[in-house]
Amino acid sequence: MADTENTPGNSMHGVSAKEKAFAFSVASPIMPTDPIAKFKLPVDSEHKAKVFKIFSLASPHMTTFHLSWLSFFTCFVSTFAAAPLVPIIRDNLNLIKTDIGNAGIASVSGSIFSRLVMGAVCDLLGPRYGCAFLIMLSAPTVFSMVFVSSARGYIAARFMIGFSLATFVSCQYWMSTMFNGKIIGLVNGTAAGWGNMGGGITQLLMPFIYELIRRAGATPFTAWRIAFFAPGCLHVIMGILVLTLGQDLPDGNLNTLQKKGDVPKDKFPKVLWYAITNYRTWIFVLLYGMSLGIELTIDNVIAEYFFDRFNLKLHTAGVIAATFGMANIFARPLGGLMSDMAARPFGMRGRLWNLYIVQTLGGIFCICLGRASTLPLSILSMILFSITTQAACGATFGIIPFISRRSLGVISGLTGAGGNFGSGLTQLLFFTSSRHSTATGISLMGIMIVCCTFPVALVHFPQWGSMFLPATKDSEKSKEEYYYGAEWNEEEKQRGLHHGSLKFAENSRSERGKRVGSDPTPISATPAPV
Amino acid sequence: MAARGLLLASIYLSLLMHECYGVTLFSSLQKTLQVTTTTKRGQVLKAGEDKVTITWGLNQSLAAGTDSAYKTVKVQLCFAPVSQKDRAWRKTEDHLNKDKTCSFKIVEKPYNKSLQTLDWIIESDVPTATYFVRAYALNAERHEVAYGQSTNDQKTTNLFDIQAITGRHASLDIASVCFSVFSIVALFGFFFHEKRKARMSQQK
Repeated sequence: MADTENTPGNSMHGVSAKEKAFAFSVASPIMPTDPIAKFKLPVDSEHKAKVFKIFSLASPHMTTFHLSWLSFFTCFVSTFAAAPLVPIIRDNLNLIKTDIGNAGIASVSGSIFSRLVMGAVCDLLGPRYGCAFLIMLSAPTVFSMVFVSSARGYIAARFMIGFSLATFVSCQYWMSTMFNGKIIGLVNGTAAGWGNMGGGITQLLMPFIYELIRRAGATPFTAWRIAFFAPGCLHVIMGILVLTLGQDLPDGNLNTLQKKGDVPKDKFPKVLWYAITNYRTWIFVLLYGMSLGIELTIDNVIAEYFFDRFNLKLHTAGVIAATFGMANIFARPLGGLMSDMAARPFGMRGRLWNLYIVQTLGGIFCICLGRASTLPLSILSMILFSITTQAACGATFGIIPFISRRSLGVISGLTGAGGNFGSGLTQLLFFTSSRHSTATGISLMGIMIVCCTFPVALVHFPQWGSMFLPATKDSEKSKEEYYYGAEWNEEEKQRGLHHGSLKFAENSRSERGKRVGSDPTPISATPAPV
Repeated sequence: MAARGLLLASIYLSLLMHECYGVTLFSSLQKTLQVTTTTKRGQVLKAGEDKVTITWGLNQSLAAGTDSAYKTVKVQLCFAPVSQKDRAWRKTEDHLNKDKTCSFKIVEKPYNKSLQTLDWIIESDVPTATYFVRAYALNAERHEVAYGQSTNDQKTTNLFDIQAITGRHASLDIASVCFSVFSIVALFGFFFHEKRKARMSQQK
């Protein structure tokens, strides 16, 4: 076994088409374990963990995983904390429908910008400080709900709290410093899914806390304000935990390692250029707006919808609304898993079809939700809607790592921002004006999802094909190396900066599906160790 | 056999009829009650502090026996049209089960032939809006059979405004500021402490 690994042209990865791209662990000898490193989990040469043990707290890898997803979860809880309490808040602040709609839009708009900035912050200060700074500086914005006494104040507070959703970027960035690239998909999908779950838990948590405070004797218009101390304190607690228990990289903190020269830097303008000139980036910005964006919109409107349409009690509406967000615990990782399962026989084409089918089904169930007039049918539609839409989110990030190797960070950031933009747009179009009811708004949104998912068919990879077209027959362009190498110019190639991309290209051959065995692997120089 | 079938059919039919009676329409109610309030035009009442004196009873000019089915009277605070605008959660519907016009119960009492009066202190969870008062007469099955209101049919006269409590307290404001300051101080404290530690270990 030992003499076949690392010999040029003899990589067996992908040949049998049985190798998982999404896996719980990476087996040696595909990625050799570093025998000298003293970590509780097996690590690779960069000291990134090769195994993902969900219920372990092993420092630093699993500790980081739990700190990371919990911080992101906390920010989701506080961003959507107002949503289940809107029936009380709208009476206290004398809001009209437009105010409620605008506040919902504001809550997701702030992070369009902050998600873009967070990538740079993680580069400069490290993900640990990026996360801690954001979560502790946004704690005052959560506490500021106590002061709110008008529609404008309410909208401003929700806008500022929404900035904290940029912890998505620090979460994913931090995971990629701690976990090996071959399992990063599952790790990131789980972290993102469990974080997104906060949007569901808050629909249960806030009415519950509100009810407790009311029973203790507070009037309704005071009780909802006191309830906001809960997410605020969570911010402070998580921030302190991140600062005391977290570290940027397996070997230590960022500023120490940068001085040693271990962490190389790429040029940001170049990285940005290759991200924005790739048309696939923009299609995925739209698509993610129609999966994550819709999820955020529903987090904002669904509790009020059930409260008003079916005359339910506040906490009953909260329980039903919560099941929407909580489906994330398995639905988002499931979407990624289905993407991988489709990739095994069909490669990237399978991933694209999986995304198209799942997201379109999400749109159809959304239409059903809007049209359902009985409570049981409404709940059933909502559950099916939540599973398919969240699976679409997971499936999206099963494809994104392959769009670009050099600009993955920026593309992830842009896609994430696109998700928030989609949420703001759908809330503006369907849930802010009094011209139509919320139920009609939901149905119209479902139609928009179905229509805006068609562009998946336009995503074409020359080396793998697209939904309706096979891979190109051109001998040069059909190589993964050509596609990923195109992101570097000749000068950079001569300096050897593109070796990471070449290695990635070789590993990505699994995206050919069952065709892999028939194409000869090219003879290339031994890739420099990543 | 036939008797059992007949029994089942009659039970089923009576259930159906009960269902029909369950769906009461506002337009089917008779306006037999008189309701008056002591509010003046342009007066703004404060929730939790001010009170409204409400008087209700049967319209004396009607024939005797009109109120034979009335068992209870439910007096409610209702939104005027101006406060329902752009607020679909306060919409008026003819089906009383779905109607959201009158969301706040003032009092529910057994029906009395003579005029009833109540000094009602406005509760603290009443939102800022324009209101009128409506009284429903309920029969023994607790279905609405008649009503009366303190305004005209177009809901334009004799409306009054209520100003809600803010819900804010000085103690809450102070606690909020303290927690926020703690968060910022803790963050920057950690940051500078670690920077100092790194600088000191570099100097060594």
